[in-house]
Amino acid sequence: MSDPNFEPKILAFCCRHCAYAAADLAGGMRIPYPTGLRIIEVPCSGRVEVTEVLHAFEHGVDGVMVAG
Amino acid sequence: MIVGEQKTLDEIMGLLGDAHKVLVAGCGTCVTVSFAGGEKEVGILASQLRMRSKLEGHPMEVDEVTVQRQCEWEYIDPLAPRLGEYDVILSLACGIGVQAMNERFPDSITLPGVNTVFLGMPVEQGIWEERCQACGDCILGLTAGICPIARCSKQLLNGPCGGSQNGVCEVNPDIPCAWQLIWERAVKLGREEWLLEIQPPKDWSKSRDGGPRKIVRDDLRLADME
Repeated sequence: MSDPNFEPKILAFCCRHCAYAAADLAGGMRIPYPTGLRIIEVPCSGRVEVTEVLHAFEHGVDGVMVAG
Repeated sequence: MIVGEQKTLDEIMGLLGDAHKVLVAGCGTCVTVSFAGGEKEVGILASQLRMRSKLEGHPMEVDEVTVQRQCEWEYIDPLAPRLGEYDVILSLACGIGVQAMNERFPDSITLPGVNTVFLGMPVEQGIWEERCQACGDCILGLTAGICPIARCSKQLLNGPCGGSQNGVCEVNPDIPCAWQLIWERAVKLGREEWLLEIQPPKDWSKSRDGGPRKIVRDDLRLADME
């Protein structure tokens, strides 16, 4: 983590109705975000289970964001 | 229902020792509804075990399975063909399920991942309370439907005692005095006479004092098993 070039892999679960729409809008406005961020659209952030967060960590992400 | 509580990850890791291949086995009945050992908890614990063991430098292979009831042969027998490949089975069932697995599969080691705590019920989301001690001689008909064996700290048959203060037990202010509850309910029902008779000492031979208990129902037994 002390590596200044470290770019974390972040998995974001984004609610279709707000956070995903916001990310979509950001794309439309040509606002860049780090390439280490990967987005999964979910029908509602309440849909995200603990097991899915753990699954992401098991497969090597550095952080998980639930946005909704 | 039987209410259980999952052991800490540290304790479970200690129990598993140097096992390389582990099957986490959940139960779909009581421990599922007490959120201690159902399919979801199996998935979470298995994931934790995989990550923890990897971080500690001896990665475990952890598989998951959940059966409807671990305390009945019919539900656990289908597991038999695959058990040989595991060093250890970590059961998230109650103590009955753990013993059923060990009894049915004597060549496999089944360890407990859950502490079986009591017979009770959820009184609100996230809170379970003890309601029954399976004493084998139900007296709820004498005590306004509230059990002093499970809910009075002294298991008094003729209460309350002097330790009842403002409706709570002297043992812990979080424990309502069972005999206060019994009295209030009897008054509300207009049945104070239920409590006027002094109850003799309880026959504890029907409880654990008589040793492990057993029920035999000949009307339910199959002819070829008699």
